[in-house]
Amino acid sequence: MNFLVVINILFALIFAPLFDGFERKVKARLQNRQGPSIFQTWWDLIKLFKRPPVIPSDSIKRLYILAPYITFTAVLTAYLIVPTLLPQSLNFAGDFILVIYLISLATLIFSLGAFSSGNPYAQLGSNREVSLLMSEELVLAFVVGILALIGRSLSFEILFPLPLKVSSILGLALLFVVIYVSSARIPFDIPEAEPEIIEGPLIEYSGKHLALLEYSIYLKRFLLYSLFLNFILPKETTIRTGGFLLGLIVLSIVYSSLEAYYGRFRLDQAIKLMKKLSAVALVAWLIALMGW
Amino acid sequence: MADLILLVPAGILIATLLLGLAGKGRTSLYLSNILSAISSLSICYVAFLGFKKSLELKFQIYSSSSIVSSLNWLILRVDSLSAFFLLILGVLGFCASLYGIKYMEHYLNKGNVKAYNFNYPIFLLTMYLVLISWDLLWFIIFWELMSFFSQFLVAFERSNEKAIKAAFKYFYMTKAGAEFLVLTIVAVTLKVTNFNANYSEIARLLPLYLQSNPSTLYFLTFALLIGFGVKAAMIPLHSWLPDAHPEAPSNVSALLSGAMIKLPIYMLFRFFLTFFPKDTSIGLIIAFFGAITLFFSIMYALLQDDSKRLLAFSSIDNIGYILLPFGAGLYLIAIGNEFLGAVALIASLYHTINHAFFKGLLFLTAGSVAYETGSRDLNYLGGLAKQMPLTAFTALIGSLSIAGMPPLNGFVSKWLIYVSTLSTPATSLFGIIALFISAVTLAAFVKYFTTIFTRPPLEEIKAKEVPFLMWSSQMLLALLCILFGVYPFLPLKLTSSALNSVGVQIELAKLTIFPSIVVPKTGSFSPIIIFAFLLIATAILVLLIPTRGKEMSTWSCGSKEKLNARIPSNAYYMDFKEEFSEVYKLGDSSKALMEKALKFGRKLGLRFEVLSYNLDSMLFGAMLLIVLLVILLGGVSL
Repeated sequence: MNFLVVINILFALIFAPLFDGFERKVKARLQNRQGPSIFQTWWDLIKLFKRPPVIPSDSIKRLYILAPYITFTAVLTAYLIVPTLLPQSLNFAGDFILVIYLISLATLIFSLGAFSSGNPYAQLGSNREVSLLMSEELVLAFVVGILALIGRSLSFEILFPLPLKVSSILGLALLFVVIYVSSARIPFDIPEAEPEIIEGPLIEYSGKHLALLEYSIYLKRFLLYSLFLNFILPKETTIRTGGFLLGLIVLSIVYSSLEAYYGRFRLDQAIKLMKKLSAVALVAWLIALMGW
Repeated sequence: MADLILLVPAGILIATLLLGLAGKGRTSLYLSNILSAISSLSICYVAFLGFKKSLELKFQIYSSSSIVSSLNWLILRVDSLSAFFLLILGVLGFCASLYGIKYMEHYLNKGNVKAYNFNYPIFLLTMYLVLISWDLLWFIIFWELMSFFSQFLVAFERSNEKAIKAAFKYFYMTKAGAEFLVLTIVAVTLKVTNFNANYSEIARLLPLYLQSNPSTLYFLTFALLIGFGVKAAMIPLHSWLPDAHPEAPSNVSALLSGAMIKLPIYMLFRFFLTFFPKDTSIGLIIAFFGAITLFFSIMYALLQDDSKRLLAFSSIDNIGYILLPFGAGLYLIAIGNEFLGAVALIASLYHTINHAFFKGLLFLTAGSVAYETGSRDLNYLGGLAKQMPLTAFTALIGSLSIAGMPPLNGFVSKWLIYVSTLSTPATSLFGIIALFISAVTLAAFVKYFTTIFTRPPLEEIKAKEVPFLMWSSQMLLALLCILFGVYPFLPLKLTSSALNSVGVQIELAKLTIFPSIVVPKTGSFSPIIIFAFLLIATAILVLLIPTRGKEMSTWSCGSKEKLNARIPSNAYYMDFKEEFSEVYKLGDSSKALMEKALKFGRKLGLRFEVLSYNLDSMLFGAMLLIVLLVILLGGVSL
C-alpha cells in the first residue's frame, strides 16, 4: 500500500511543472497570444538546474543557502498525507493540521531565506509574504473549523470526501479562494510583484536555488489543487482517477483565467478582502454549527 | 528516609542565599549561580523521584489550638503533578543559573550584585516551596514571599526608573490578586474543612460541599480566576507582565516567564481538577479568557520594538494557549467526553513545559544579544547571525518552536490543542482563533529573529559569540525543544502521569500508537516520520544539488553604491496592523478606561485616608469593611 505513495509523489513531481506550462498556454490564449509549449516550464527548470547559483556577499550564508532545500522538502512532505493520482496516503503520518503547518513552514523558511539575503527588496517582499500568510490563515482557520465540524474530525480518512451539505459547499468555496490567494498568483502575487519590488524574496536567488524555489511553488499549487479535489471526489479508484485528472484541468483553466483577467492588488486591499471573507466564513461556521 | 531528599534543594538554596549575603564580588556571584544550578539539578532529581512515587514529609512546627492550628503541621508532598512542574523549574533553573554565571558579570559595576545573590536563590526557593507544600495556608505564605522577593529582581537595575516602576506595578498587582486567594482560602477553611487546609482533606470535603452550593462554586471560581489570573497574566489582568519581564536580568526573565507564571497554572490544575466538581460553564469561561488572552497579546506583540517586550507579550499569548485547552478540557470532561477532555488537558500541560523551554531559550538569546551589543532595540539591531552564529541558531530553533513549526515541540502541543477543540461545537471557535493566532505568532517571531539576526545592520555593530557557559545553556534548551518535538512520547508519558495524580485517567496506549500520536477518529500525526522525511529528503537534495556557488556583491539595481536600506522594525506588517486597527483601538480604549478607574480608586483612597484621621469614622469604615467581608464569606450561599 505505502509504496503507492511514492507513485503519488512522482506524479506530482512530474506533472506540477507541466500544469504550470498548461496554465501559461491558457493565459496566452486568453490574451490573444500564441504562448509557449506546455513543456516550457520544464525546459526553464532544467536550464536553471544546470546553472550555478550566486551567493550575495551580505547574506547570512548558511540560512540563505539551506532555505530553498528545506522549502522544497517541506512541501514534498505534505504529499505523504495528501493523495494525488491514487487515493493512497500515509494517514497515520498526519492530518489536515499538519498539512497546513507544513505549507506555512515552507512559506516561513522561504521568507527567512529571503530575509537573510541582505537585499532590501527581498526584505520588503518577505514582509509582504508573511503579512499575506497571516490574513490567509484567518480564513483558512475558519475553513478548517467548518470542515472539522462537518466531519467531527481532522483526519483526511474521514474528511475525504465531504458529505453534500450547505456548510460543506460554503467551506469548499472559501477553501477555493484561500488556495487561489496562497498560490502566489495575480492579483495576490504581492510578495513577488515584479514591476514594483523585482520578484521580492526571489531577487537574489539564482541558478539551482532559484530552480528549487520555483519548483516548490509549482508543487505547492499542485498540492493545494489535490487537497481541494480530494474533498470532492468519491473514493472508488476508477472514477476517482478520471475525476482527479479532469478536476486538475478544470481547476487550472479556472485559476489561470482568473489570473489573466485581474491586475495586481495592493497588500492592504488583499488583507481587507481576506478580512471581509472571514465575516462570510463566520456565517458559514455558524451554518456548520447548526449541522446544515 | 528517602523522602528527606525534599529538603536537599531547600538546604542548598538557603546556604546559597546566606553565602550571597556575605560577599559582593565576582566570586560570590559565581558561587551563588553555581550553587543555584546544583540545587536546580537536585530539584530535577526530586521531580524524577516524584514521578515514580509520591514523596511526603511532615513536620510539627508547634502545637496550638488557635485559629491558625492548621499551620501546626508543615506538610511537604510531591505527587506527579507537582513533579511535572518541578521538572520545569529544575531544568529552567539549571539553564538560567548556568547562564547567569557569565551573564551577571555584566552587572558587576552597574547593579547591586548583593541583591541578586540574595534574592535569586530565595526566588528559586519560594517557587520550589510553593510547588511542594501540601497545605493551602502554607501555600499562600510561600506564594506571597515569592511575589515579594521576585520584585527585587525585577527592580535589579536601581538606576533605571522604568525598572523600579515596573517592580512596583508587578508587586501591587500580584499582591492585590493574592488577596483574592486569601479570601478563597479563608472561605474554604472556615466554611468547609473546619480550619484544615490540607490538600487531601480539601479534596475529600470540598467537591461534595460545592455540589450542593453552586453559588459558592462560582464565587470561588471568580476569586481564583482573578487571583491566579493576575499572576499568570491573563488578559485583562496582564498589564504588569510586559513591564516587569523585560526589566529583570535576562536569566531572571527566563525564570519569571518560563517557571513563575506557570505556578498559577499548577494551582488551577489542583483546584479545578481535585477540589472542585467539574462544571461545563466554568470550563467554557476559562477557555474564553484563554482565547481573548492569546488574541490580544499577540496582536500587541506585533507592535513591539523592544526585543524582550515582544517576548513578554508572547508569554501572555502562550498563557492563552495553556488556559484555552485547560478550559476546553474541563468542559469536555464535564459533558462526559473523558478521552478528548484528557487530551485537551494533556495539551495544556504539554504546552506549559514547551513554553518554559522555548521562552526560556528566547529570553536567554535576547539576553545574549543585550550582553554583546548592550541593546534591546529592534530598530537598531541587525545582522548578528554573522557574529553570533550559535546564538542565532538557538534563537531560530526557539522561534520555529514557538511558531509551532513541525517537527519541533510547539507543533505537538498546538496540534493536541486543535485536535481536542476543533471537532466539538462548543469549543470550535476557540480552536479557530488559536489556529489563526498561530500564524500571527509566526509573524511576530519572524520579526524577532530577522530584525536581530539576519537583516543587515545600519551601522557596524561590534559583537562576538557569547562565552561557552551562556551559549551552552541556550543549546541545552534548544536540544530539549527538538527532542520534545521529535519524540513526544516521553513528555506525553509525563503529562499523563501528572494528570493521573489529579484524578484524570487516560489510557496512553490509546493515544500513542508508535510511531504516531492518534486521537481515534479525530486526527493522527507521526512526528518521527515527518522529521525523518524532512531530514532525509533535505540531505538527499543537498547531495544531489550542490549548494556551492560564486559569491558576489548583493544586487543594488545596477548602481555601484550599496542600497543601504532595510525595513525598520516598526514597519513590519504595517498594512496588517492598519487593517486590524480596531483591535488596537479596543485595547487602547480599555486601557484608558482602566486608567480612569485607577484615578477614581486613588481619589476614593484619599477620601478614606482623610476620613480615617477621625477616629470615629475610621472605626465605622473598618466595621463596614468587616461586615462586607462577612457577607462575602458567609452570605454567598444565602
